[in-house]
Amino acid sequence: MQEITLTINGQSVKGKNGDTLLDICRANNIDVPTLCHLQGLTDVGACRLCVVEIQSEKKPIPACNYPARDGLVVKTSTPQIERYRKQVIELMFAERNHFCMFCEQSGDCELQKMAYRFQMDNVRYQSLFPKLPNDTLSEFMVIDHNRCILCGRCVRACKEVAAVRTLDFGGRGGETMIAADINQPLGASSCTTCGSCLQACPTGAIVNKANIFRGKAVDCQTANAICQGCDIGCEIKVSIKDGNLVRIETPDRTGPRGALCRIGRFEQINESRVRIKYPMMRNGKGQLVECTLDEALAAAAKKFAELGNSCGGLTTTRVPNETIDMFQKLITGTQKSKAIDTLDGKEYRLISSGIRQYTNGGAMPEVDPDIEGILKADCILVVGADVDRTNPVMGNLIRRAVNMNHAQLINVDANKDLLPLWSDMWLKPAAGTERVLINGLAKLVINNSKSLAELKPELLRVLSLYQSDKVSEKTGVTEQQLTAAAKILSGTKNCYVVFGDNLTAQNDTDLVTALLNLTYLVQKGIGDKLNLIFLKPGINSQGVWDTGIANKDIKTQQPRGLYLLLSDDNVDKEWLTWLKGIDYLVVQAGYHSPVVDELADVVLPSRIWDERGGSYITAGKRALKSNAVMQRYGLLPDEEILQRLIQKINVMPSRS
Amino acid sequence: MAKVKVATAWLDSCSGCHMSFLDLDEALIGLADKLEFGESPITDFKKFTPCDVGILEGSISNKHDEEVARDLRANCKILMVLGDCACFGGINNMRNLFNTDDVIARYYSTESTAQNSAAPHSKELPALVKVRPVNQVVKVDCYVPGCAPKPSAILYALSELLDGRIPVLPGEIMRFD
Repeated sequence: MQEITLTINGQSVKGKNGDTLLDICRANNIDVPTLCHLQGLTDVGACRLCVVEIQSEKKPIPACNYPARDGLVVKTSTPQIERYRKQVIELMFAERNHFCMFCEQSGDCELQKMAYRFQMDNVRYQSLFPKLPNDTLSEFMVIDHNRCILCGRCVRACKEVAAVRTLDFGGRGGETMIAADINQPLGASSCTTCGSCLQACPTGAIVNKANIFRGKAVDCQTANAICQGCDIGCEIKVSIKDGNLVRIETPDRTGPRGALCRIGRFEQINESRVRIKYPMMRNGKGQLVECTLDEALAAAAKKFAELGNSCGGLTTTRVPNETIDMFQKLITGTQKSKAIDTLDGKEYRLISSGIRQYTNGGAMPEVDPDIEGILKADCILVVGADVDRTNPVMGNLIRRAVNMNHAQLINVDANKDLLPLWSDMWLKPAAGTERVLINGLAKLVINNSKSLAELKPELLRVLSLYQSDKVSEKTGVTEQQLTAAAKILSGTKNCYVVFGDNLTAQNDTDLVTALLNLTYLVQKGIGDKLNLIFLKPGINSQGVWDTGIANKDIKTQQPRGLYLLLSDDNVDKEWLTWLKGIDYLVVQAGYHSPVVDELADVVLPSRIWDERGGSYITAGKRALKSNAVMQRYGLLPDEEILQRLIQKINVMPSRS
Repeated sequence: MAKVKVATAWLDSCSGCHMSFLDLDEALIGLADKLEFGESPITDFKKFTPCDVGILEGSISNKHDEEVARDLRANCKILMVLGDCACFGGINNMRNLFNTDDVIARYYSTESTAQNSAAPHSKELPALVKVRPVNQVVKVDCYVPGCAPKPSAILYALSELLDGRIPVLPGEIMRFD
């Protein structure tokens, strides 16, 4: 980068060619006020607060999108410039209904801070008092157009961070309004409720329903933690006031994981399940009654000591490695039981046996690359992954790749286009024929490249069964579509494949192997790292699976007693039915649910996501440490309760 | 030195700004040596008499408010306004988003718990006008925004005036809420 030198306020400063004037001012601690600028988003020069005086220009020029040149002479603050800035603020206040005393953002508002800075103690212009609507239909957000200054930060965040492009400007001139899609209410639009706009908004125009009037940022303490919504493991910043969790935000609003999502930002704080605050035991009448932890543990220990190795363990993958360690000690150590599994173990067994069947590289292929790498992809194949439901930040990353890197997106799903408006191609195989389709594509990719055919003759032999016409007949995907998809896949230089949980139920290990083969082929057989991302449900799925406790299906072992470590997770209907067959059930859970209320013999309380700390292995095999940021009801850590249970079992007379 | 004569009034407001002034507490004792109070909301008067500093709180919301503001302006040398209502229109501004008749109808019938209630009609009652900050009716010399203004902000403004300067609140003291 070519270095340039310019003079700002009489001081000689250096910068790089390509920097904006604002970049250089900020880098040199020269204060320039801004409202529409947000580091990381494209600058548009909407608010005109950053106007500066440039010697070679006749008019005041916004610094945020003025490319700096060598030799410029700039003044960032003159009486005239300051007057202009104050006037801009006054006009903003007069344009819409900015009355701070009944605004949620008062105290945190950037517009208000600017008004203080420019000592705006009155407005010379008559307010227009426009009658503007509030959009409250979204489950978690309110758009209050009265407070909007049309800086467009939400629009750019929606486009560049969330990459959904739901928000944009509607109307013209003074009638311009922020609009979702074709001026629909936010709740009825294509919005994925990630809240990027919310956090980008400098005023009270977009507010979070969950924390309205619950605490200004200035009155809150903040702490960093890891979001536990899925396996992506986004960093979050939580605000706490008077022992209450007020809001969840991202520490880096415009970074690769700056979007957060519906689950992480809103659902974790809008919990409707009822919390379990104390241990409980089922009495003679079949009712759960409160008891002390000692009583509960003694009862569980007595029964567990009797049951010995016919007592298994089932755990969620939302808990950290430390807890899993202790859980393993209880089940495989103390109980000497082989019946141990995770709630998402089925997915693990599907993926791992698929990988074991794969023989191309010789050694086990390395999958699950760093997920941020997908931003540089030029082609993304999504197979059975409802990303917006399960791992929404993955959805943002995929859209960003499409948006910024013009990646081509191929979606394979039997039921619906899971990334509508974004997929270049939606291949819709008949349910259960996904494997045939993937193999058919692999065959075509080999056909398209001579060197690949020579590289893997044995693979060619296997795939020779998958002629396009037969694949088309079986899957219902036309031959033209197959050829077109194969053409995209053959031409790609950096392809990512994303596999989700929609197809877990099929339990088709060959499908996983087929995907590995296809990924290998589109990567031209280069390297042993496959850009294949398996989306997982729990934040610590990878970490728990790595311990090997999900190797065997617990349903085949039929334990008589069971320790269910549920924490803040839920069990689905299939598990619930199976759990009904357990004679003695100890559940450690954070919330009431049918399994607790109807089936559990002993209920132990568990810490929930923001109360537990520990180490996790998240997507892309990233090891993360999270701290407990909240403490409620004086609950012990999960591993502490497990340890006490182990101690109690060990001293039981029936054990010896 | 002669004491500075101050007259105050409240227009369409909650009286919170006057309360905030009283919240100056012990600082009032110091001010009492320098200030002398003329007309105020707790004195009985029809018209203002000449004074040095006039202080108004509240927005202009009806014909009577306009009259009071003009009367005080004519009688004072320096007019200071207190609070968001007087500076910007404040919470009363919300009324501007609706038709005045609708506002009255809602107050006297829809939301009223009295039976057969109706809006009173009398020539004596001042007509409602569009809510405005004071500076859109009379010239204002200095502003102390806040809802209510912090006692410290009021003290700052009064001290500046007593020192012979027209106060402009610094950003650190200024608050709109």
